[in-house]
Amino acid sequence: MQLVCLGLNHETAPVEVRECFALSEAGLDRETELLLAATEVLEGVVLSTCNRTEYYAVLQGGGGSERLENWICEQRDYSGSREGIFYRYESRVAAEHLCRVASGMNSMVLGETEIFGQVKKAYKRSLDVGATKVVLNKLFQKAFGVGKRVRTHTAIQEGATSVAGASVELAEKVCGKLRGSSVMVIGAGEMSRKTARALQSRGASSVMVTNRSFDKAADLAEEIGGRAVPFQGWEEELTHLDVVIAATGAPHFVVKPGHVEAVRRKRKFRPLIMVDIAVPRDIDPKVGEIDEVYLYDIDTLQEMADQARKRREEQLKFCEDIIREEIDKSNLPAVND
Amino acid sequence: MGMGIGWVVIATALAVAGGVSGVLAMRSERPGRAAPLWMALAFLAQLMALSWRGGLRGQCPLADLGEICLFLAWSLTLFYLVTGSTYRLSLLGVFTAPLVVILQVIALLPGSFTGEVQRAEVVDPWRETHAALSVLSYGALALAAVAGVMFFVLNRRLKSRKLGGGLVQGMPSVQRLVEAMARIALVGWLVLTAGIVAGLLMSSDSFSVHLLVATITWVLYAVLLGVHFIRGMPGRHLAFGLTSLFILSLFVFAKL
Repeated sequence: MQLVCLGLNHETAPVEVRECFALSEAGLDRETELLLAATEVLEGVVLSTCNRTEYYAVLQGGGGSERLENWICEQRDYSGSREGIFYRYESRVAAEHLCRVASGMNSMVLGETEIFGQVKKAYKRSLDVGATKVVLNKLFQKAFGVGKRVRTHTAIQEGATSVAGASVELAEKVCGKLRGSSVMVIGAGEMSRKTARALQSRGASSVMVTNRSFDKAADLAEEIGGRAVPFQGWEEELTHLDVVIAATGAPHFVVKPGHVEAVRRKRKFRPLIMVDIAVPRDIDPKVGEIDEVYLYDIDTLQEMADQARKRREEQLKFCEDIIREEIDKSNLPAVND
Repeated sequence: MGMGIGWVVIATALAVAGGVSGVLAMRSERPGRAAPLWMALAFLAQLMALSWRGGLRGQCPLADLGEICLFLAWSLTLFYLVTGSTYRLSLLGVFTAPLVVILQVIALLPGSFTGEVQRAEVVDPWRETHAALSVLSYGALALAAVAGVMFFVLNRRLKSRKLGGGLVQGMPSVQRLVEAMARIALVGWLVLTAGIVAGLLMSSDSFSVHLLVATITWVLYAVLLGVHFIRGMPGRHLAFGLTSLFILSLFVFAKL
């Protein structure tokens, strides 16, 4: 009995190859059934996300991983080069790899948490169709336990690694919990959309969008469930805002000190965070000199994201220690044999 | 003095441990529960020390420098433990513990505690209440000042965009810190109000300049808090008001 992990991901395969092997929800069920029907496969789990497709299988006897690779390529009608595209892990190495994947250590965005749910879903699908037995059941349960431990005992998921995430982090540092907070997005481009979405995901309840072209503002507002505000007179809304995100293509400052000075008394000098992700900048730096205004530009956000990535990388060693320790003390069949 | 002074030493050592574990939590960027635990133990030791002095005097132990410092340290620790959950606990410990240690070190200096204590024969309950509530209120006002210092540190880091490190990560948000400063100061002010009322009910011959200064302090805090709650003011101004008022009133009381 041999535990095998065979797969490809963003590090080994370009997107045009990854999309050949990517599987839809319905395709995954069929693939799992076909995998199990393959003569040598005793148990199997197929994981397919936008950045990886992996097959975890328990094979009868040894040396079957190459045949599994051939079978997968046949299934996908893939005849391109396989040089360096696939990775193949066996026994303990395969188990350690699954733990890394579940912990987000193998993801494109190091430490991201979505993969944990995706692995769980893939396992449940196989469990439901009876494609897992003793080996994979124990292995996946162990991987979920390790994933949880890695996340709670290390800082692998701490800090925002994107500009939108860094904006949210700063907003929370100033306003506290964003639940119920009011946000205005000036500009209706992609960065505005991403940042507004990120703020909403953390509880921001009222999101206003303003843009020189009202139609674009209305489109974005509709998409994110916010409210479009005419560009003429946007500053009237400043009284109620907690967060302002500026991301227009304007060649001059859109937000000036006078806009904030005019509403300070009405706001009772409440803290206001302003995030300028536009180049050239939308917010006059002098706005940041107002006592209760905390102003950040794209360079600050980028630096925050870079530092968070670096900190997460520094955590990898501790995560590896946890995985090694957990696998050592486990008694997984086909892993520590 | 024996075991009695020993409790002050133990309380000081525990507060040092609280401060150190707070710093360690800050460095590891993971606010832990160790600092509040050390401070809770320090609080118990302070209680033992206060009961020793109270037993000797037969009244609220607020008659010499050592007792006033110890009582102030105790009330500061009490408010830290009660309102601490408003903050990231361990980090407030980093800012509170040093003040508690300083107060208790002053109490431990030779001569701070009067050696020959005369047991009170007559106790004026209003005087006792006035003294206890006044010092208790100073514990809350001291904590508000500590929160003000925290605000200065956080504000400076956020304004200068020095966002890395455990200090900023572990601190509460600007908004919560402003709310906490105001709320703790309000609690302190209310306790001080009760203390002053008790002072006014003392037997008339025991009216002192202390009560007058306490009343002036009360008015100044009332103005500051009134402006904050009614008109609003930038957090930096509130922090400045709370820290400077506290330092000023301490200085005035020390001169008296």
